[in-house]
Amino acid sequence: MPPRWALLLRRREILVTAVIVIVVAGSTAAHPYFWSSGNLAFIFADSVVITFLALGESFVMIGRGIDLSVGAIMGLSAIVVGFRIQNDGMSLLPAVLLGAAVGIVLGLGNGLLVGVVRLPPIIATLGTLSVYSGLEFVVTNGNQVDTIPSSITNLGSHTVLPGVPVILLLTVPFVLVSAWVLRYTTFGRSIYAVGDDAEAAYRAGIGVQRVLFLTYVISGLFAGLGGVAFLIYTSGASSTTGINDNLTAIAAAIIGGTALTGGVGGAFGALAGSVFLTVTLTAMSFAHVSDVWQPAGVGVLVLLAVVYDSRARAGGRRRSASRQRGVR
Amino acid sequence: MPAWGTCLVIAIVAELVYFTLTTRQFAGHGTGMLDLTEQFAPTGVLALGLAMVILTGNIDLSCGANASLAAVIAGTVLSKGGDPVLAIVAAIAVSTLFGLFNGFIVAFIGIDSLLVTLATQFIVTSIATSVAGASPPFGFPSAFQLIGQGSVNDVPIALLIFLVIALLVIVGVGYTSLGRSLTLIGYNPRAALYSGIAIRGSLTAVFTLCGAMSGVAGVLLAAYYNSAQPDIGTDLLLPAITAVILGGVDIFGGRGLMGEVVLAVFLLGFLSQGMLIEGDSSLSITMITGLVLIGALVIKVVFERNFRERMTARMQSLQTLRPFRPPQGISEDADG
Repeated sequence: MPPRWALLLRRREILVTAVIVIVVAGSTAAHPYFWSSGNLAFIFADSVVITFLALGESFVMIGRGIDLSVGAIMGLSAIVVGFRIQNDGMSLLPAVLLGAAVGIVLGLGNGLLVGVVRLPPIIATLGTLSVYSGLEFVVTNGNQVDTIPSSITNLGSHTVLPGVPVILLLTVPFVLVSAWVLRYTTFGRSIYAVGDDAEAAYRAGIGVQRVLFLTYVISGLFAGLGGVAFLIYTSGASSTTGINDNLTAIAAAIIGGTALTGGVGGAFGALAGSVFLTVTLTAMSFAHVSDVWQPAGVGVLVLLAVVYDSRARAGGRRRSASRQRGVR
Repeated sequence: MPAWGTCLVIAIVAELVYFTLTTRQFAGHGTGMLDLTEQFAPTGVLALGLAMVILTGNIDLSCGANASLAAVIAGTVLSKGGDPVLAIVAAIAVSTLFGLFNGFIVAFIGIDSLLVTLATQFIVTSIATSVAGASPPFGFPSAFQLIGQGSVNDVPIALLIFLVIALLVIVGVGYTSLGRSLTLIGYNPRAALYSGIAIRGSLTAVFTLCGAMSGVAGVLLAAYYNSAQPDIGTDLLLPAITAVILGGVDIFGGRGLMGEVVLAVFLLGFLSQGMLIEGDSSLSITMITGLVLIGALVIKVVFERNFRERMTARMQSLQTLRPFRPPQGISEDADG
């Protein structure tokens, strides 16, 4: 029996948190400014958008799906909400509700295609990715959001405690609720069941297609909220907002321990994964690595996370085995 | 002729007639349509490489970035005064190497290709941006530009290259043992293993080929645009996947005809070029492409499901006529 701390390290979110601490400690030793309220707040605020996207992506990936359209949903939500704030002076709470509504509506599109029409998720969300990013362009119509009142953008820069921006405190409840839903509700447990073995779940009486449908709606909801977070953090949005965030969100979820093969993962992993990405990329720029290499950093981290995870290696075989059983 | 291919041909003819009637510049005395093909030939080459990978039940998300890298490398060699042939060879060699890298990890370490190529996509993008530097190379010798812009008897050279590659792929995948084994690997890897197919070798080969074809696409792009931006090919990933899926290749592998992929490339290419000429923006074309993809798939899935249900009903009626008694100990409840 390995010691208790070694067992803890098998939980991915704890392992990632440990690595985050090591990276932060190392960077602080080299550059004292790394451990400053301003920099820590920047790291947290920077990771919030990806946290939201990865959170929704986790729901979908635990059910053995994939949602390639989260970035576009986030962008559309940021644009729609941003124009209302900019032109009509909308305040924060209605803005959050509007963002959530936009996300749910767009997530419904994915949910219908995957859960009802039963298209393979990678194709369905690839199609909606094209449609939603086209819509972004149509909605902006050549304009962009650039004047968000400081009462709203302050949430991204002001800190409550040293190093903790307000926006992080607004994010944590969503992570906690997601963790609770995934771990302690019948719906949450049935997502794991469907992702682990859809046929077994079906025979156990779970409405597989209904569960899948809901995971995509939830993913849309979180992407919509991510759009509002994007507005708060960057105080602007344009027709290309979110275009590069789809794969980063998936990368964050994978690093946080959610497997593409379904049935594994959790909400804290999404938070840990996206904070880890931001911490590492910030540490890279502190070490004077050119910004050009940031994508490569993400790529290497994904590769490391996957090679470390022996479950991913069984993935190819399991997917084909389920195919022989006639499950989508 | 397969049913899906016929649908694609009808759709192509319909859209060509539509654009010819509505947009004066589209046909351009017959040569206009041919000229348009050189704009989507790179996407077509990329789609064919990707189609072979998808046929085996894998995917290569890095092929677009790989094409960018090839374009940047060709451009850098040319701007340093290198010979065009050397530039092309260097570009294709580098992207072939990355294809080999993908294939090696997928086949021999056994990691899901979606994850591997997601990671290499990021890495290749960084390398391309870094090689291109602050001012990406542009203004290439005319001998090099000919590949992307030249024509023989009004037939663009890019189209010829695409057609030659298409022919090779159609024959290679449809009529050689390596090609047939790709389909079997995608359909049922275990059956492929038991029938003596070198799965790892075939997978490595197909990813390497996809890398090489990304290189060709990158060279075509650099020659057509006469410049090598580090994101020149990255945007082609989605259209390429769309063409493969629209071409009837099963995203889980094991089913698909390369000829239909070629038809889908022409269908999507003419659609986007026709809309561009009509004055639509490129992003609303992205939207239409997405709608076409979803629409085509919904039709296909519903069609196939009805077909399967009819077949199941027929099988059941046969069974009631002549009841099948399974031997003892074997469950009757076999999954369909």
